[in-house]
Amino acid sequence: MLFLAFTVGRTILPIYIISGLMAMVLFLTSTSIGPVVFPWETRQKTLERLISCPISIKTILLGNVWSSFFFGCIFSTIPMVLGVFIFGLWSYINILIIIIGIIIAAFAYSSFSLILSVPPTDTPASTMILTILIKFPIVFMSPLFMPISSAPLALISPLTYFIDVINIGLGEVSAFGTWGLLIDFSILLIFGFGFLFISFTLHQKTLQKRFRG
Amino acid sequence: MNAIIAKDLSKFFKPSKGKKKEKKSKQILEKENNLICAVDNISFNVKYGEIFGFLGPNGAGKTTTIRMLTGVLKPSNGSITIFGENVWKHPIRVKQIMGNVPEMANVYLDLTGIQNLNFIGEIYGIPKKERNDLAENLLKKFELFDRRYSKAKKYSKGMKQRLLLCMALMSSPKILFLDEPTSGLDVQSARIIKQLIREYNKTGMTIFMTTHDMDVANELCNRIAIINKGKIIGLDSPENLRNLKQEYQAIDLYLINDLNQKEIENLSTIKEVRKIQDHYHIIVHDINNGIFEIIEYLKSNHIKIKKINTYEPHLEDVFVKMVNGGG
Repeated sequence: MLFLAFTVGRTILPIYIISGLMAMVLFLTSTSIGPVVFPWETRQKTLERLISCPISIKTILLGNVWSSFFFGCIFSTIPMVLGVFIFGLWSYINILIIIIGIIIAAFAYSSFSLILSVPPTDTPASTMILTILIKFPIVFMSPLFMPISSAPLALISPLTYFIDVINIGLGEVSAFGTWGLLIDFSILLIFGFGFLFISFTLHQKTLQKRFRG
Repeated sequence: MNAIIAKDLSKFFKPSKGKKKEKKSKQILEKENNLICAVDNISFNVKYGEIFGFLGPNGAGKTTTIRMLTGVLKPSNGSITIFGENVWKHPIRVKQIMGNVPEMANVYLDLTGIQNLNFIGEIYGIPKKERNDLAENLLKKFELFDRRYSKAKKYSKGMKQRLLLCMALMSSPKILFLDEPTSGLDVQSARIIKQLIREYNKTGMTIFMTTHDMDVANELCNRIAIINKGKIIGLDSPENLRNLKQEYQAIDLYLINDLNQKEIENLSTIKEVRKIQDHYHIIVHDINNGIFEIIEYLKSNHIKIKKINTYEPHLEDVFVKMVNGGG
């Protein structure tokens, strides 16, 4: 539906369709597990026993990142394979750039999803509301299905840099100049580790509130 | 030799906005800064190899205490040492030697019994072959072996509780924490759990359990701490706690002839004599000596006995009396 909302009535280059779809799928899938796991485990009463096991909260959170990462990676390859096949872009594709891009971006978005599970609730629906309120504005400010230069707020969105990576991987020139690819990877890594650091800090603060009297 | 040393433990909670109404009824002590005190400056030791019971009414602070001991909740004040290690300074080291069955905990419902155990075994770093054998042995002991390949969501409540205990025992812990282990279970599951708690304790395992079931506490525990409104109001062996309430040692005497109440009151072991309808209710200092003295007196006065009942103090009487402020 989101894809149709962005594309109906517009003439879009095939490369932008693939990069836009991949960015949307990767972002939405890799941020779909993280916000639900903690409230779900709190509600299922499995979290308390897990915390009393000899593993740190960081390990538990990294486990969440890993599952979101894995989920996102698998689903984002589907639009890539379909798009490249439909539009016949096999001769332009640089598979290595795309794979590295998917891995780094999936890590960044999965780390971001951990922040969404910070509120100490045991109701997954509560985090879903917050998730929608944050995720959708990010999607709408991103340069999906269009050149990066034509989206004014694009630079603050973590999706922009993944879109640029995919565009480069499909034979397009980077929107950020000669060092574009390096800039994209670096900024995605900064986003990833930044989100991870924020989520570790916030979860340490709110974890205790999940087990109050 | 102490397995647990808890010193000056307190836990305060901030009243949350959404739960203000609910918390207000639960609140134990409201400090000036609006904090709710769930556990109020308690200290106790648990000896190596003993079964230590934490007994108290709902909302007394039992679960908060066990959560602090197991490293789930950080105490607001005080320190906890388990087998010589500070729980909050070396949490991983301490958790490596403990097993925990939290109250109302759940197993992973979409995993089978054996998968649940293997998952926990993996967390504790037990090698694959060893953890498989360990899991199978535990499932046999807890009478779950036949259902090891069934998903846990198909288990009854009692079976899930037994599986939880298996999960806590996967790492062969030195100390086991059980929060209301038999609460709401069927007779068979409760019996199996109680029997295995005793068995594991015999192997030297220290067990810390919370309960509000007097019979479980009386039957299993070497020592009991009674907690109410966040404070420990009694700590001793079940026998000594019972003896604290001497007024519950009594004899009901049904006689054919009448009795001289004043004369019998003069006997050394007798505390008080009350005539209640067709019998005498005699409160004694010591039930064993009291009964001999009374029978001697009745014999020498040719008074014939119709029926005689003895009452010893029950832990429940002690508990109710202490919790209601008579302790």
